[in-house]
Amino acid sequence: MTTFIQTLIDGLSLGSIYALIALGYTMVYGIAKMLNFAHGDVIMVGAYAVIASVSMASLPPVVGLILSVVICAALGILIEFLAYKPLRKSPSLAVLITAIGVSYLLQNLALLIFGSEQLSFPQVINLPDFAFAGVQIKGVTLATLVITAVIMIALTLFIKTTKLGKAMRASSEDKDAAELMGISVNRTISITFAIGSALAAIAGIFYGASYVYIKPTTGAMPGIKAFTAAVFGGIGSIPGAMLGGIILGIIEKFSQAYISTLWADAIVFGVLVLMLVIKPTGLLGKDIKEKV
Amino acid sequence: MKKFARIASLIMALAMVLTCFVGCTADKEGGATPGEDGLVELKLGCIGPLTGDYANYGTSVQNGVNLAIEEINAAGGVNGFKLTIDFQDSQGDPDSATAAYGKLMDDGMKISLGTVLSGEMTAVSAAAIADEILLLSPSASAKDAITGNDSAFRVCFNDPQQGTVSADYIADNKLATKVAVFYQSDLDYSNGLYENFKAQCAKRGIEIVETTTFTKSTNTDFSTQINAIKASGAELVFIPIYAAEASTFLTQAYGKLTDIPLFGCDGLDGILTKVSDTKYAENVMMLTPFSADDTTENVKKFVDSYKKNFNATPDQFAADGYDAVYAVVEALKKAEITPDNFEDDDFNSKMVAAMTQITVKGVTGTMTWTADGETNKAAKAMIIHDGVASLYTSEK
Repeated sequence: MTTFIQTLIDGLSLGSIYALIALGYTMVYGIAKMLNFAHGDVIMVGAYAVIASVSMASLPPVVGLILSVVICAALGILIEFLAYKPLRKSPSLAVLITAIGVSYLLQNLALLIFGSEQLSFPQVINLPDFAFAGVQIKGVTLATLVITAVIMIALTLFIKTTKLGKAMRASSEDKDAAELMGISVNRTISITFAIGSALAAIAGIFYGASYVYIKPTTGAMPGIKAFTAAVFGGIGSIPGAMLGGIILGIIEKFSQAYISTLWADAIVFGVLVLMLVIKPTGLLGKDIKEKV
Repeated sequence: MKKFARIASLIMALAMVLTCFVGCTADKEGGATPGEDGLVELKLGCIGPLTGDYANYGTSVQNGVNLAIEEINAAGGVNGFKLTIDFQDSQGDPDSATAAYGKLMDDGMKISLGTVLSGEMTAVSAAAIADEILLLSPSASAKDAITGNDSAFRVCFNDPQQGTVSADYIADNKLATKVAVFYQSDLDYSNGLYENFKAQCAKRGIEIVETTTFTKSTNTDFSTQINAIKASGAELVFIPIYAAEASTFLTQAYGKLTDIPLFGCDGLDGILTKVSDTKYAENVMMLTPFSADDTTENVKKFVDSYKKNFNATPDQFAADGYDAVYAVVEALKKAEITPDNFEDDDFNSKMVAAMTQITVKGVTGTMTWTADGETNKAAKAMIIHDGVASLYTSEK
């Protein structure tokens, strides 16, 4: 029983990280209608930004965290402006390939600047660990869960109620019509990317706090898993991303614990395939009919 | 425009052919002319990761090799030779290592210290068969890394030996009767050690109560594996993995696997510089033929001058590199190679024959070599306490 509960807790811990990353994926997809495969690597940039400002430049942790979020938001706008904006009218395949290119560009830039040796993430989030009945829960895990839930609710409210949120939904549904209604689609998409990348920075911070060691390729695998989570939960749906992330984390940990550590990844992606066959729109995805 | 391209390519091709010739002539002339000190240069080459994930291994070997060469040259060289070393960076990539080997051969390398990592050595020793040059790798431990090449040797144990010797060490010192294993299933090194450890455990009556694994793509979260080990009631965990993954494992196992010693092999070398806090490495044991706080005279001398030169404590890789150079010196003496005969065609075969006849009292133990290139020496284990690795003694 202890193993069961401990595995559940570990799954929640991993899942909450996936969920946090998936939120950014799904938000950008939902509004800009493009898969930003560089999202995982923005997480890595966010983590390195904290290492550079706190460990290397000895700035106070709070400044480091804020700086990380600001740097990533700016990076998001920059990536969108340089790589995706010129391709707005191109086929989606071109944008997809460009995103993969941006992903490798970021990884190799980090490799150039920080080297390939793993660096330790500074202890910026100091939370006590809990233990009861032989089960250990890390403070960081709880914090990640709470923050992910808060962000999920805030994002949903933001998109539903604010003027900018309305502009985002309008741009998502019909770019040309939104433009005719006086919405600056370019600006709206830039802001979407800024928010998505700021979320990635937060994910990077919690990733670093949970797993300590950061490498240039750190963002790649969690990025793919979180993308899977976003698709699982229904890409474009914000509560879906959170649900998908947590379910995926739990599935991964349970298959490791009860089936085989070798098979865990195969099972995770197998579940995704199954999901896509049974319900192609994902758990909470909306079935939108293309209008002709 | 087409015409221009054709002429340009012709010139390029011509230039390439010419450089080939330039290389050849320079090689012949440079050889036997003694320098100002009356010594003839004898060029050694070595390949290893000086940058990248495994840079700590390459740098250690490089330092050890440099130190030995300095000592030998300062003492007047060997048989009228002054040794030089060309150390090429491979970033741990076998293809780069093969390319670097080709470059070293073009630059007139006479003896190769092979490569630092096993994957590189496998590629290089295969590429070097036709050259018949002596390859003496300090640290390439995979079993197959030197098979198929009769001129390839190594200073370190091979992986099967390490797995076998680890099981023997655990049994001999009564460290545990129930062990768990945590290894990387997509890494040759890790697999090789595990397979042999398992086989020897069966012979020595050690029970493996839990076997858990990870792969390169799942090397960030080990919580499930740690839980499984904890639940298995193992008295010791055998971790035949590299230091980068081990540091993640140790950090996550901190507080969960207290009182259970973790036992690794040479892959754990440099673990103290990899973990974010040395407290995570408390009670970690490493099988090694070399220990920096060994009080034997030659080891002490090596450690002292290494510390003075590089401001660091030498690890096993440094010691392997150091011993490799001294083994080459012994072989040169045994084969009676001098500046008069070192450009003869039988240089390589004489050196290879000498390797199986020499006995080297190195800092990693007293070594002899078999014709398959394997070494015989005794093993010790180190244990980490308070961020310092020291020789394990069963009394403690």
